[in-house]
Amino acid sequence: MTAYLFRRLLLMIPTIFGILCVNFAVLRLQSMSLTEAMSAGSGESVGERKVGAGGWALESKIDRFRRTGNDLPALINTYGFLTKESVVAWLRSTAPNAGTKDSVRNQREKQLWLVGTFAVHPLAEVLSDSALADLHGPASQALALCAYTSIEAWDLNRLSGKRIQQIQARNRTLRTLVIAYRQTPGQPFSTADEHAAEKRAALVALVADPENAADFNRSGKWSALVTKTGFYDFLRRLATGDLWSESRKEGAFSVIAQYWQTTLVLNLLSIGLAWAIAVPLGIHSARRANSLEDHVTTNVLFLLWSLPSFFVGTLFLHYFCTSTASGAPWFPNKGLSSPDNLWFSTPRFLVDLLWHGFLPMLTLSYASFVSLSRYLRGNLLEQFNADYVRTARAKGVNEQAIVNRHAFRNSSLTLITLSSGLLAELFGGVLIVEMIFSINGLGFLLLDAARQNDAPLVMASTVVSVGLLLVGILVADVLYAVVDPRIRSRYG
Amino acid sequence: MNGFKVAFLSLIAGLLLYVVIDQWRRPEQMGAMSRSFAEMAEASRAQTDELRKVRLALEARPVAAALTPSVAPSVAPSVASGVPTNVGSGAAVTPTAQVPETPATSVQPVPSTVVPAPTLDGVAKLGVEFMKPMDRSYIIAAHLGGTLRMISSTPKGLNPLLSSDAFTSEIQENCNDSLATHTSADPEAWFSQLAESAIISDDYKTYTFKLRKGVHWQVPAIAERPEFTWLRDVHELTSEDFAFALQLVLDPKVDCEHLRGYYQDLDRVETPDPYTLRLIWKKKVYTSLSFSLGAAPLPKHIYGRNKDGSIIPDNQVAVVFNKHWFDDERGVCGVGEFRLVEFTADKVARLRRSTDYWSTPSMHFDTIEYNFEIKQPDAMLVAFKNGQVHLTGLPPLKYKSEVLDRKEPRFAAADPANPKAGRSGEFGWEAAKRQAFSYIGWNARRPVFADTKTRQAMTYAFPKERIIRDIYMGLGQPILSDVHPDSSAYNSALKPLDFDLDQAKRLLAEAGWTDSDGDGLLDRVVAGNRIPFKFVVKYYANSPEWDNTLHIYRTELKRIGIEMEAVPQEWKELIRVYEDRDFDAVVGSWQMGFDLDFYQLWHSSQIDAPGGSNHCAFADPEVDTLAVQLREEFDLEKRLVIAKRIQQRIHDLQPYTFFMSPKSIFAWQNRAPAGSTERNRYLAGVEWGLDHLHPLKNRSPLSWYFPQ
Repeated sequence: MTAYLFRRLLLMIPTIFGILCVNFAVLRLQSMSLTEAMSAGSGESVGERKVGAGGWALESKIDRFRRTGNDLPALINTYGFLTKESVVAWLRSTAPNAGTKDSVRNQREKQLWLVGTFAVHPLAEVLSDSALADLHGPASQALALCAYTSIEAWDLNRLSGKRIQQIQARNRTLRTLVIAYRQTPGQPFSTADEHAAEKRAALVALVADPENAADFNRSGKWSALVTKTGFYDFLRRLATGDLWSESRKEGAFSVIAQYWQTTLVLNLLSIGLAWAIAVPLGIHSARRANSLEDHVTTNVLFLLWSLPSFFVGTLFLHYFCTSTASGAPWFPNKGLSSPDNLWFSTPRFLVDLLWHGFLPMLTLSYASFVSLSRYLRGNLLEQFNADYVRTARAKGVNEQAIVNRHAFRNSSLTLITLSSGLLAELFGGVLIVEMIFSINGLGFLLLDAARQNDAPLVMASTVVSVGLLLVGILVADVLYAVVDPRIRSRYG
Repeated sequence: MNGFKVAFLSLIAGLLLYVVIDQWRRPEQMGAMSRSFAEMAEASRAQTDELRKVRLALEARPVAAALTPSVAPSVAPSVASGVPTNVGSGAAVTPTAQVPETPATSVQPVPSTVVPAPTLDGVAKLGVEFMKPMDRSYIIAAHLGGTLRMISSTPKGLNPLLSSDAFTSEIQENCNDSLATHTSADPEAWFSQLAESAIISDDYKTYTFKLRKGVHWQVPAIAERPEFTWLRDVHELTSEDFAFALQLVLDPKVDCEHLRGYYQDLDRVETPDPYTLRLIWKKKVYTSLSFSLGAAPLPKHIYGRNKDGSIIPDNQVAVVFNKHWFDDERGVCGVGEFRLVEFTADKVARLRRSTDYWSTPSMHFDTIEYNFEIKQPDAMLVAFKNGQVHLTGLPPLKYKSEVLDRKEPRFAAADPANPKAGRSGEFGWEAAKRQAFSYIGWNARRPVFADTKTRQAMTYAFPKERIIRDIYMGLGQPILSDVHPDSSAYNSALKPLDFDLDQAKRLLAEAGWTDSDGDGLLDRVVAGNRIPFKFVVKYYANSPEWDNTLHIYRTELKRIGIEMEAVPQEWKELIRVYEDRDFDAVVGSWQMGFDLDFYQLWHSSQIDAPGGSNHCAFADPEVDTLAVQLREEFDLEKRLVIAKRIQQRIHDLQPYTFFMSPKSIFAWQNRAPAGSTERNRYLAGVEWGLDHLHPLKNRSPLSWYFPQ
């Protein structure tokens, strides 16, 4: 039994890892690029009128990207190997005469801004080469942003006051040293700054300053190949629990801590309900197989099965949870308990919970009990034709005992196997049901986070629901072993 | 025997579960109990405060009445400090006005230190006082009180600088005040609020404010907790609090680029003394007016301190501010009419009238409750029907099914002749205008739309009225320019290019479009090439209304020999389309701001500027000059002349086919809650609110009242 459990637990690791990979890939593809964040920040996305151009405060955008680990390349970070030549080629590809679309140029330009300290030295080399005069403007802009060092609230305890002042002073200086440049469509960049020479010299001097050497060195480029990547960062934050939710301004896991129990309770109750309906229904159908009654139930249940839960949920909401001109609704329309439930006695609290939870549970579980009861019926019919049932009947065992003690026990293996699959379905369904019945659970949180573009919170809540799901599957596996002696004997 | 065993075991399990649930609920119950004790204590403290004020007022009354006017000034300060709510500053008030009223009748207007004179029309002028004194005459004392319940969504934090969502700004509007205020109905007229006087000098570059004295910061709700006892001290509002806020806005480290853009031309802030604030701008720009007068203070005694009350070093304030402990505690502190007493994410936020507000009430309600639990549109409607919230919005499709198709008999039937017909049902409803507009933009870079006549013909072929009626269920107001027709700056001389296919055909012929090859499609020669009149219009994919609108438009265009293809685009893709100007025509919409500005949309410098909004490459030298002029002009008359001229020019050149400004349906409860059958209980208060306000002003239910 222990060996069996251990084996099951080990199997979970690749599962979790695979899910994390898929999760990460989807969110990476969906997440905002710096260009989009910039146009969203300037009010463009909501069609809002803005006063004046400029004032985009790129630094705070970059801070936000760094806080969520979104500035790093996804899997491999080769930025440590950037050379002057490759940076020149990169800068040239962002020029208005590069022959590519503006969106592509913008994308490349913003990508360079996110490279960070690895690009500082190559950019300084570009700036010190007077033959590359056309690139000095964009190079100074990129250098100012790559050399910019974020200071977050948690750095205040980590770094000394003197060091913080030094970094802040450097950040301020960098802002003033950007060389203004023109982008005329179809032509290369051109410098439009009378102080270009001084700014250039100051930037090169700033990079060469021994005081800054430690911040801009490239010694960690080999380890950065793997460790300075989005995926590594995601795993690290997941392991240490500091995924940061931008929309709630709180750690993602401390947000989830307030939500996960509701979902778990709802799902467990739904499974309970599904079994409580499916088992009697299945047995009943099997015993009256091929009668008119059986045909009618089968057809009705299949009809039910084909209705999607969001549709059924909305119907429930509109017909059973809405007051009409003539009276109050039958069921409450939101939450899992009444607003003043805190002062209820425990029995009343439980009744209130059932009253609130009934429709959400039904919506979640009707698809499951339909399929469960059909599988059970089929399996029971098979058992009824088996030799041991015939023997029992011949012995004169009563029908009740045959069904309950012999046939059903064998069929319950199927039920348990199916339950773990149903659990996965429930975690999907809970998204919609929680939204329709306004229940503050994980699904509710997940959809809200997705709506607010909060990738870390989406990641964290998916991981937590996957964790819950895996625990559920584990429980099903254990039950399987408990019910089936063959498994127990196989693992000793 | 077996059945008995099972029953016994499940009984034991049930009992265990019962005990576990019982124990699990206990700490929460205890917490709630101690919270409600704290609330009771607070209420009794407020009551004591109130009594103290009454006593002070009673004590002061015979003294003040007996004194001769020459002695009065020496008494005034003591009275003023004792009764901060009712007396502004003692200096210019006549002795009779100085006798404090009993606070119970706090509906009386604040005795203003500025003597109302005809020059105080609220329109900004150089070198003189101009702000109107606050007008609270609309408040009906008998209707003060009551609770308003609304649906809202959990905000991203509550920090006034860091969060830009609608909810945070609404909370700030209710819990904090600014130097002066204006309404969208008449944005040029300013009413004094925290600033007693404002003088503009140095060619509209320097703003000098004298602050009201005796305004105190609210004590935040978390001060009840033992670790925050230091928050219970009362602090007076000073110019430092404004300077603190503005310095944070200007600091690049603070996460508020949405505000920083507006203040980028602010040079410096000076605070010569605690009641004087001076803002100095680098150059003369019209927006400096609303952003100087509209500046709101930030409590330095909270945001400048650590959680234990120690002062944060100056160079760290900006860094700490992004993740300040006060925001983690969901605290709100202002000098406004309401204070936040409860906030639970995804559950509820509750505002209650502040007991020591410096002015008389500007709203009737005592409590405002925001419900965050409901996010799904259907669930919102159901919560409204069940009486859990007082109001809701109806999207066009729901409006059609619930109201027009009479699916919900409790809504009154619509009557095209009477826009107020919806008010009388058990659920009242009405259409409200919104300050936004939608349009189809023609890319002038493409040879097809490079000339004015073709663009005019496109507008003539667009059956605007019919589409609004059939597809938007009448929920829109046709517009002709990017200024709302109800605004005072709107040029009413614009002649609409109403749907007329013959006129469109004539204009197209004049523009050189003919069907030379007889394929039913117009064509013309551009730069030696014969091009057919075919184009693609791109629009946001998530809009069934636009699917239908463009379908109708395509049918009409086909009749005059033009082929249009409508391509829906996802949001990310649409951003790219704008970036690359990769469209022949595009559907879009803009919000209309408070301040008139034509630079962003129409100035030719914004065609190729990175992030520029002139997507359609509209270029007209006259509009360029006028748009720049308007940004620097402060004289109202001249501003209106310029704005109207620009509108005329844009209308003549038709860079957009302006479509409509949408209306939205909002519905409210007329029935008293909790199963009462009393009809039209709230109607009087709601109707008063609706008819009291200018049609363009956001019909905020906050200005209604519920008859007691």
